[in-house]
Amino acid sequence: MGRPVAWAQYRALLAKDLRQELRTREMLTSMAVYALLVLTVYGAALSQVGDRVQTVSLAGGMLWALIVFTSLLGLNRSFSHETESGCLEGILLAPVDRAVVFAAKATSNLIFLLAVEALSVPLFFLFFLSGAELAATTPLIAVPLAVGTVGVAGVGTLLSTMTIDTRGRDVLLAILFIPVAFPLLYACVSATTTAFLGVEGTLGGFWTSCAVAGAYDVIMIAAAWGLYEFILDA
Amino acid sequence: MGSGGAHRGAGERAAAVSAAVAGDRPLAVEARGLVKRFGAHRGLDGVDLAVPAGAFLSIFGPNGAGKTTLLRILALLSRPTRGSLSVLGADALEEPDALRARIGLISHRSMLYGDLTARENLEFFSSLYGGAPDRARIDELLRVVELDHRRTDCVRTFSRGMQQRLSIARALVNDPELVLLDEPYSGLDPHAAELFDQLIDRVRDGRTFIMVSHDLEKGFSLCTHALILARGRAVVCAERAGVDAAAFRDLYLATVGMGVA
Repeated sequence: MGRPVAWAQYRALLAKDLRQELRTREMLTSMAVYALLVLTVYGAALSQVGDRVQTVSLAGGMLWALIVFTSLLGLNRSFSHETESGCLEGILLAPVDRAVVFAAKATSNLIFLLAVEALSVPLFFLFFLSGAELAATTPLIAVPLAVGTVGVAGVGTLLSTMTIDTRGRDVLLAILFIPVAFPLLYACVSATTTAFLGVEGTLGGFWTSCAVAGAYDVIMIAAAWGLYEFILDA
Repeated sequence: MGSGGAHRGAGERAAAVSAAVAGDRPLAVEARGLVKRFGAHRGLDGVDLAVPAGAFLSIFGPNGAGKTTLLRILALLSRPTRGSLSVLGADALEEPDALRARIGLISHRSMLYGDLTARENLEFFSSLYGGAPDRARIDELLRVVELDHRRTDCVRTFSRGMQQRLSIARALVNDPELVLLDEPYSGLDPHAAELFDQLIDRVRDGRTFIMVSHDLEKGFSLCTHALILARGRAVVCAERAGVDAAAFRDLYLATVGMGVA
């Protein structure tokens, strides 16, 4: 398969996903509503403890829990259009490199996850961190957010493909995703918390965590790229 | 008729099947000893098949006979566990990507995106075959399947018959030489099925067709060759010329119903 053809196929697959989502807004709406619900639950929980808990020290974990569970909801839906009328088979009938199918689906998932984060992260700040004293390093959370979201989209796309034809795929995706993505999530929570707290002398740890998350992305996406044909044909 | 195979041994039957279907014409499909295992179960158990170019082969058989498994292998959506397969003169197991551009599949599932319009669906599938979608060809296909007046409507708003007509256009966007049909009449009312027949007739155009069907009468009326699969084996093959539908039906019932398979 020549590169220009693969590139054209990638663009066609991605444009199709974006067009469908813009038309139906199924995935974005469900993820956004879910994120708002999680924020409401956080608000209810934190209102019970008053000032006894420093929200800033928990913010990294809370933010990533919000991102992961919202992402799982979206990833579960990402193949619903493909399986509805056998469309995935229609794609696989064509001379498309299966890795191109993976790249396009992972990219569209990444775009949708970033779109929902663009809404939920500012709301998280508004609801829980607006009165807090934030460290000067807080803007650095953009780095683990970006690196982590790439990994979530890549690994999530691979795992949601594996669970397409399974019973109880919603639960199965979560059961597979959390253990597989644990190193990524741990590194991202660590880096985000470090950026929020801004303790002097810990910035080295921040970059180490980001590097671990980045290495995880590279390894897992390369593995997904290589395994995707096998997974689709299985 | 090359069938009397119902009362022969498996090896003899396979040889008879190949010989009967092939004749002297160039072959669009040639399979030897196709086996497909699903764990301990054999979905296909040594199928030999030779389909001449331009033929219309209908494949019949009871549920679980291996019809769809065979069709998925021919569509290059699945690989056989064992055996060789040549499609349109090329080794299908060695060069699947090159062959995919020359094969189309119409299934009982439309393989169409409900939230895209008829035209967007065809443009999308056309673009997967390389380069920009050929808009003139897409317009022509929409005319052929009599859906040009609905080209900008979402497929979700189409009836089942209209979706199936559009799926014919989808299967032809790459101008395939081999068209596979998997239970295409499933869910169609008699009028829609009649329209579907007319369309298939209109797009025959020298292409080779292989159809899996439960509908003996319809499948037999369309085909030039017929094959009965049972328990993963090709047990009977007949060239339609020289066989009447009633005799074929009796043969089918005898083969499948008497447990010969």
